[in-house]
Amino acid sequence: MILDVIERSLRQPSRLIPVEALLGNCDGSRMPDVVVDHLTPDIARKLSEVCPTMAFGIEAQEGRDCLRLSYGRCIGCGRCMEAGQGCVIAAKHFHWCGVTKAQTVRFWDIDGRAEITPHAPNPQDTRGQIPSLLQRALNIRQLDAGSCNGCEAEITALTNPYYDLERFGIHFVASPKHADMLLVTGPVTRNMADAVRATYEAVPAPKLVVAVGACGCSGGIFAGSHAIVGAVDAVIPVDGYIPGCPPTPSMLASGVLEVLRRRLAR
Amino acid sequence: MTGQTPPFPERKREGAAIEIPRTENGSPARLVTIFGSLDVKGGKRAHYIFDVGQQRYAEVALPADRPLLSLARRAPAAAWYERELQDQYGIEIVGHPDPRPLIFHDNWPDGVHPMVDPVDGVPWANRDYRFLEVQGEGIAEVAVGPVHAGIIEPGHFRFSVVGDTVLNLELRHFYTHKGVEKRFEGSSVTDGVLLAESVSGDNCFAHAVCYSQAVENACAIDVPAQASAVRLIGLELERLVCHISDVGGLCADVGFSVAAAYAARIKESLLQASAQCCGTRYWRGIAVPGGLRHDLDSGKVLELSQEVERAHREFSDIARLILETPSIQNRFEKAGILRPEAARDLAVVGVVARSSGVDLDVRRDHPYGRYEHHSFEIPVTDYGDVMARANIRIAEAATSARLIEEAARSLPAGAVSVPFRADGEMRGSSAVESPRGELWYWMETRDGRLARCHIKSPSFQNWPAMPFAVAGNIIADFPLINKSFNLSYSGCDR
Ligand code: SF4
Ligand code: SF4
Repeated sequence: MILDVIERSLRQPSRLIPVEALLGNCDGSRMPDVVVDHLTPDIARKLSEVCPTMAFGIEAQEGRDCLRLSYGRCIGCGRCMEAGQGCVIAAKHFHWCGVTKAQTVRFWDIDGRAEITPHAPNPQDTRGQIPSLLQRALNIRQLDAGSCNGCEAEITALTNPYYDLERFGIHFVASPKHADMLLVTGPVTRNMADAVRATYEAVPAPKLVVAVGACGCSGGIFAGSHAIVGAVDAVIPVDGYIPGCPPTPSMLASGVLEVLRRRLAR
Repeated sequence: MTGQTPPFPERKREGAAIEIPRTENGSPARLVTIFGSLDVKGGKRAHYIFDVGQQRYAEVALPADRPLLSLARRAPAAAWYERELQDQYGIEIVGHPDPRPLIFHDNWPDGVHPMVDPVDGVPWANRDYRFLEVQGEGIAEVAVGPVHAGIIEPGHFRFSVVGDTVLNLELRHFYTHKGVEKRFEGSSVTDGVLLAESVSGDNCFAHAVCYSQAVENACAIDVPAQASAVRLIGLELERLVCHISDVGGLCADVGFSVAAAYAARIKESLLQASAQCCGTRYWRGIAVPGGLRHDLDSGKVLELSQEVERAHREFSDIARLILETPSIQNRFEKAGILRPEAARDLAVVGVVARSSGVDLDVRRDHPYGRYEHHSFEIPVTDYGDVMARANIRIAEAATSARLIEEAARSLPAGAVSVPFRADGEMRGSSAVESPRGELWYWMETRDGRLARCHIKSPSFQNWPAMPFAVAGNIIADFPLINKSFNLSYSGCDR
């Protein structure tokens, strides 16, 4: 009976994860991080060989051979962690959610054994602005441009009692006409391209767009397929990227807040 | 002269046809899937797979460079598969009741068939697509999608309604078609599992295991007992999570948000426990051909099983209360009835089949992994309505929780993977009872690389049955009926 269900529900303790614990949390995503002390030319080569999506690669930066890691391509398969002999571990904190495309890429000087990423996000930025972010309201329209539904499942989790995005004044709305932000998942398939454009058109300015997941950021595992047009930014302009396959609810929440922060800081 | 003269002369239909195999009791075997492939010389083949009982799948293959006679009139379940053969391979199907393109939409040019033609720079076209027209007085059309309100996948639904009542529902899907089967071509056997995992995200583990088993069958290797046991745990956990989520979703669709939030919390606790146990919330990157990617800590597996026990206790308690609620009974009962005859004709699988009187479960009918070490009941009912599907899910959740607990308690020790060699030409197939029903993979290698991989997805099989369950209901009940089927768009569209 309804009242029994409500009674059970009221007896439950609160599960709400405080916002400080959400930001930067990536448990269960298996996003890689590099332990630079262990980096050797051999390992760098091996990483770029085992990575199925070319998230790891070797690239020259400022005239030096660098190990490159593009989080937007990473599907979290974990192969690099096996092959990397301690040089790659699962990240404990992850600050690359909601960032610009340039910021999703990291570089390590192989010989110098040092990170030389030109556009590193600053994890303190969002943290410092939590109070002002929480005074806002944000309407999000989720748009599936062709995902495998893994990203949808995690976005749906944002409304569960652990994450409860509504506490930040963030709502999921039914119509793009009511939305401030489009949260777009999946590679844009050929069959969805028109609908994606039309949905974008229907969103009133300032139209924030966030590309979600490896697919949304880069096409992910489907990059190059004849049936997809490409990543989200191949079809509409994108303001922020949230890597992961799928990104966890914490990563999604962090990413949405980061995009909002960057917008307010403009 | 007796009998009636047809109004026009019967035309002869030319095309190769297959005989539908029979089961041992003489009835026509259930169609599992139809797919195309190319032989070494590039000749087209069509493969028809049937479940002939006694733990056997039977394959009938035909050269398909010449036209094939449609099977759809004899076995309606063949209709979408045959349209897929036309789209993907350009195999001509004669006498098909509905030969419209299925996979590609208006912007795809006629005459380009991705599995045989080059697919670089396919030009954008503008073709016409004709929806069915339902004519009559007072009939209105309601078109919904592909973009829906809410966090769900895209698909197009066209309702012909009289007042509130749905006369006919026409589906147009494949918006999320990503060309997955084509993407398998040329990929290494070990990389294939990454694609399989991304066919249908919430059933990713079932896909990973099914693909891996197909490879293992092709190489004739047995995975170690521990790997099989862990796979069983993962498969049952995926089912449990799915069923909990679906029951919560049904509550959400009738506005019972407290119960929906309660179910969402239980589901989340299981995903977090999974992340603790194996590093990913949905068990991605665990199953690989040959066994498991890495060992799981048996202590952590036990902790997971304790969490499962706790979660299921809470779920069964709340599920009982939900079903006792009169307003829920009022909405669930007699809504969206799929009749057993329709279920059989369309060869539906999974919960949808078992709720409409079709007694089918791969775990029992074509056992794999360690299922033979466990005994379990397969719940079946023939009411065919939303309530029946809710009941079956709740009953199956209990079985899943018990199987996880049994497997975790007696986890075999030892290796978790065996080496295998994928060289030369191999073929293998495999079936898994995914949370949505029978999932079936077929793979073929040439020179050690994948030449073809076909996925029979339970959602592809079950979607055509949805309109039969929706007709006669009020349009406002559609979300509820749709949720009770819980089909994957991406799994269907691939
Ligand atoms: S985890 Fe990411 S970076 Fe590492 S191999 Fe897999 S896709 Fe590449
Ligand atoms: S990023 Fe991963 S989980 Fe998300 S849609 Fe793509 S394959 Fe699925």
